[in-house]
Amino acid sequence: MKRLLLLAALAAACAKPPGKDYSKLVSASPRAILVVPVVNKSVDVDAADYFLSTLSVPLAERGYYVFPINLVKRMLEDDGLSDAALVHGADPVRLCSLFGADAVLYVTIQQWTARYLVVSTQVTVEFDYLLKDGRTGEELWKEHQMRVFDSGSANSGSGGGLLGALVGSLAAAVATKAAPNYMPLAREANVKALEYPGPGIPAGPYRPEYRRDLPSSVTTDPAPPPAASR
Amino acid sequence: MRAHVLVGMLALGALAGPFGCAPKTLYRWGGYDQALYDHYKNPQKRDEFVARLSGIIEEAEKSGGVVPPGCYAEYGWALYEEGRLAEATVYFDKESKLWPESRPLMEKLMRNVARARSSPPAAVPASAPEEAKK
Repeated sequence: MKRLLLLAALAAACAKPPGKDYSKLVSASPRAILVVPVVNKSVDVDAADYFLSTLSVPLAERGYYVFPINLVKRMLEDDGLSDAALVHGADPVRLCSLFGADAVLYVTIQQWTARYLVVSTQVTVEFDYLLKDGRTGEELWKEHQMRVFDSGSANSGSGGGLLGALVGSLAAAVATKAAPNYMPLAREANVKALEYPGPGIPAGPYRPEYRRDLPSSVTTDPAPPPAASR
Repeated sequence: MRAHVLVGMLALGALAGPFGCAPKTLYRWGGYDQALYDHYKNPQKRDEFVARLSGIIEEAEKSGGVVPPGCYAEYGWALYEEGRLAEATVYFDKESKLWPESRPLMEKLMRNVARARSSPPAAVPASAPEEAKK
């Protein structure tokens, strides 16, 4: 028990307890997530598509089926929904039924900026993530992430784990002189946003710890749906 | 508590856990996100994008790994947009079989392809590659 307490204390020190209500997400138990084009509130018009390209990998790595990003984008465009704000404003239930999705992830770019200071460049990205149920339209999970990188104090090396595998060395990647590279920061924000335990979402059906990583308050659920056969 | 133990182990810098936290990914992505990014950055280099999708699939199949979710369908869609309808169907079908969650959508797309194949070429939608955005 002493050992467990110590480990729990360490866990608390490095990862804040979720503190989120996961009951709706757990009972909705989505398998297939639709990622729709992102709403861009920054002044960089390219940010929306660039950022969209980063979303499927970390989400699929959480164990969910993620609908092909570009296919979804093009299908929506063909349906006259090329404006992301229009897509975000549409009925999530109708949207999900169009693709056969269990849930839809809406992401909004709040900031995607570079400030050129005397001796350094400061790059900032800020995102809001919102997952809605495809059957009820209810909000299942949300998260906010902001990352600031200052080339003058390049101290943010990425650690190991999934983050290291997906992002690599941040310092080297962002601090190019010619043009700031937002992508490593954006990828890092995504991984952190989805991390669990942490602020993110519990493992999906394609992860081995599916249904075994849930907080005790929501594990009294009925048996999980049968695993998908490949 | 198991999760706490795992996080604790990571905090101690110990070996990665037996599941979940190991620094490896579920899938061999082969630069899928980078390919998408490059496609959005340089839409005129469409051939490159399509070739990379094909390469990701080939690589994953060859190594005996699972082709990541969405990749077959993404490639199928690219072929569909080029009017390569028979090939597109093959990949929509592969996505559908590998990822049951995709089946309703893939079946819808396969029906669309079948319709397009039975009507004159002019009726094929979305076949024109997008003009360069910049």
